[in-house]
Amino acid sequence: MTSRYIAEYEKTADLLPGQSLAWLKTLRAEAFNCFSDQGFPSLREEEWRYTNVSAIEKKLFAPSLDLSEAVFDQALLTENQLEGALTIVLINGRFSKQHSSLEGLDKDILVLSMADALEQKPELLERYLSKAVSNEEHSFVAFNTAWFSDGLFVHIPAKKVVDQPIQLLHVVTETECLASTRNVLIAEEMAEVNVIETFVGVDDNYLTASVTEVFVEKNASLSLYKVQSEGEKAYHFGGTYVKQARDSRFNHHNFAFGGLLARNDVHTDLDIASECDLNGLYLGNKRQHIDNHTRINHLKPHAISNELYKGVLNQRARGVFQGMVYVAEDAQKTDSAMNNRNLLLSNDAEADTKPQLEIYADDVKCAHGVTVGQLDEKSIFYLQARCIDEETARNMLTFAFANEMVDKVKLKVLKVILLKNLLQVFPQSGIDSEWL
Amino acid sequence: MSSSAKEVENLIAQEYTQGFVTDIEVETFPPGLDEEVIAKLSKIKNEPEFMLEYRLKAFRHWQTMKDPDWAQLNIEPIDYQAISYYSAPKKDSDKPQSLDEVDPELLDTYKKLGIPLDEQERLAGVAVDAVFDSVSVATTFKGKLKDAGVIFCPISEALQEYPELVKQYLGTVVPEGDNFFAALNAAVFTDGSFVYIPKGVRCPMELSTYFRINAANTGQFERTLIIADEDSHVSYLEGCTAPMRDENQLHAAVVELVAMKNAEIKYSTVQNWYPGDENGVGGIYNFVTKRAECRGDNAKVSWTQVETGSAITWKYPSCVLLGDNSVGEFYSVALTNNYQQADTGTKMIHIGKNTKSTIISKGISAGKAQNTYRGLVKVGKGAENARNYTQCDSLLVGDRCGAHTFPYVEVKTPSAQVEHEATTSKISEDQLFFCQQRGLSAEDAVSMIVNGFCKEVFKELPMEFAVEAQALLGISLEGSVG
Repeated sequence: MTSRYIAEYEKTADLLPGQSLAWLKTLRAEAFNCFSDQGFPSLREEEWRYTNVSAIEKKLFAPSLDLSEAVFDQALLTENQLEGALTIVLINGRFSKQHSSLEGLDKDILVLSMADALEQKPELLERYLSKAVSNEEHSFVAFNTAWFSDGLFVHIPAKKVVDQPIQLLHVVTETECLASTRNVLIAEEMAEVNVIETFVGVDDNYLTASVTEVFVEKNASLSLYKVQSEGEKAYHFGGTYVKQARDSRFNHHNFAFGGLLARNDVHTDLDIASECDLNGLYLGNKRQHIDNHTRINHLKPHAISNELYKGVLNQRARGVFQGMVYVAEDAQKTDSAMNNRNLLLSNDAEADTKPQLEIYADDVKCAHGVTVGQLDEKSIFYLQARCIDEETARNMLTFAFANEMVDKVKLKVLKVILLKNLLQVFPQSGIDSEWL
Repeated sequence: MSSSAKEVENLIAQEYTQGFVTDIEVETFPPGLDEEVIAKLSKIKNEPEFMLEYRLKAFRHWQTMKDPDWAQLNIEPIDYQAISYYSAPKKDSDKPQSLDEVDPELLDTYKKLGIPLDEQERLAGVAVDAVFDSVSVATTFKGKLKDAGVIFCPISEALQEYPELVKQYLGTVVPEGDNFFAALNAAVFTDGSFVYIPKGVRCPMELSTYFRINAANTGQFERTLIIADEDSHVSYLEGCTAPMRDENQLHAAVVELVAMKNAEIKYSTVQNWYPGDENGVGGIYNFVTKRAECRGDNAKVSWTQVETGSAITWKYPSCVLLGDNSVGEFYSVALTNNYQQADTGTKMIHIGKNTKSTIISKGISAGKAQNTYRGLVKVGKGAENARNYTQCDSLLVGDRCGAHTFPYVEVKTPSAQVEHEATTSKISEDQLFFCQQRGLSAEDAVSMIVNGFCKEVFKELPMEFAVEAQALLGISLEGSVG
């Protein structure tokens, strides 16, 4: 089945950026071989046992060859663009200069599209590209490495604190389109930065395959927000792979709202005394399938990790959570907590969860917890006794459950967008996003 | 202590002959496995026709299967053609003639466990002295069960005497092609226990493999089938706390439990097979498939296990909760030391309404051992108001061991409530210091703290087992401190 993708690749390979760079050409060739050997992941693989990607295999998503400006509903941009942020807009997987805004960009920091970065800073990319994740990770990563057409490149020099958030706005406007993008984010020693990835698209079939590599150097701090609001029929694969140096901090906020089939991987490697926070919220509706995978590797002592993923599953939606905390032999004094909470709101919804611990050191504190359940009838009754109709009561409680994750977002502009999203799903008469 | 429990005590204190009644004199089979071997095995056991078909079906399926490799275990490849699948029961003349001929290390452990001398002889497999006449004891014991209508006998005997009953239930909980080791077991099992509790009967005593006359030598492929008919109750004990020497390295047992309406089965295991030496040489490979089906409403199955032995343990006692309001429980202590590896846990499959399950798992890992909890809680679509609570705690003793947790939770019903909690920690220095300050040695302190850690599970064990299990933990942990 993958043969169609292979044939398609041969057609479009020359159009990919950076083909003049020998090292990248080799890298892409290796990735392509890796993908053609393995094909798409199957349900037999432990990491994919709950997620069937054969639909992607049966269809053929091809990169958009039309380089002229796409025509689409501008609301996709205006509603999702963050005020005051440096924005790189990718349309159908390619950089759109016209829509991007890099006003007020400090000359020390680099915010470029991947294609531009490959031209301007090839030596920097050679050092970082494909270093946080290898093609063997799984075939979607190989697929991405072979096909990526553009992306976001951010480099923050040492001791630089960037106040302006940096946004990657990923828009897909074409049917049957493949938007494969690769992002590299680097925060040098003691730097600080906030990056937001927003994924939106038209209400039609398309495939987003996005891989983000993050390097957080010594004592640096990087917060990454991902808002996945793809169209209802979209397929989404997103992977975030992080390398943390000692004393570094990494915060990830993962909001998965859209897509027919959405899969998200977050992997982080922790060095001495580094910290990571992984937060996630997934809201499933209709026939959505949302799969979240996280892996925290405690490779060195004294690192701290916190993880909380919450899911609300309605109608025929299916939510999957597979989390792994790995503590290596020498990673003494590790402190790790992982939590996954699921609300099942309908008879046809399903939650599959698998929080895992693999521990090879003894002086550690590791805990994990999972719950799957429904709203507390007593709380609903309490609200009903106070003249709130049942539907609103349920919405209020579900909203409160989900809002915990939104509350963790420190960027005000982003928070407002997220709350609007939430209120749309759980409408409560009398509550307006303006108040929040 | 109830009178029946006293009787049990008395029984423990006594010796009995392992009189094998089979007259057939057969040499040990040459190593290897094919259909001919199975036919020969079935013939020796004089089994009904359907059994041979069953075995062959299982064998043919087994040939198409591969060794499972998904567990967190490091297993040397096993050559299944290098194993002999039948050996004649040992004659008394082949056995050690007295305790002097038995490994002194083994005797040492017996002493620490406080096992009486004659019991030690039985455990070590010493040729039985005719002075002790246990036949009378056995007869009263059997008589009492017979009065109650309980059938408790080796499965080979059941196949002769109650073939219809065995045929009706065998393989219905664990089908012959269920998994690699279950298929192997179905093809070549030599013996095991068969228990049938008729309607409305509360089994008058705790059944134990200890007292199963004529089936002490069940070999490496054991098959157990327990059926509790409507409104009945049975408690079954398997294994014993004393270390068992066994020349068979590979063990693949299958246990099937069937609980009908309102029936209750309590199944307790203490497994303490040879774990190999400090360097990880030798030791038993233990691959067990255990599954219970609560077929009727309000049925209850409770698994309790204490796993301290074996070099490799691969074992997931499961409950299929079919009947409405049925209950499944799993209490487990798994201790690994030196180079032992354990991958154990449970599966709770909720199908009926209002089904409940509880999982309490305590894993202790010491030395260079790897201890894994792997569990599945599955709530099907119709399982309204299903409830599960899972707690699995791991304790690490030493900095070269590993403790892993792989829970799978799959829920398809909104009214279900599923909770899972797990923690991993080491013995706190404060606790150790506190105990040592009060005059306990480091080793005793660790043993005491570990016992406290496992208390929730031990309290589920029948009394006779609980005391011994505590002593056993202490012994198994020897050498892990300091």
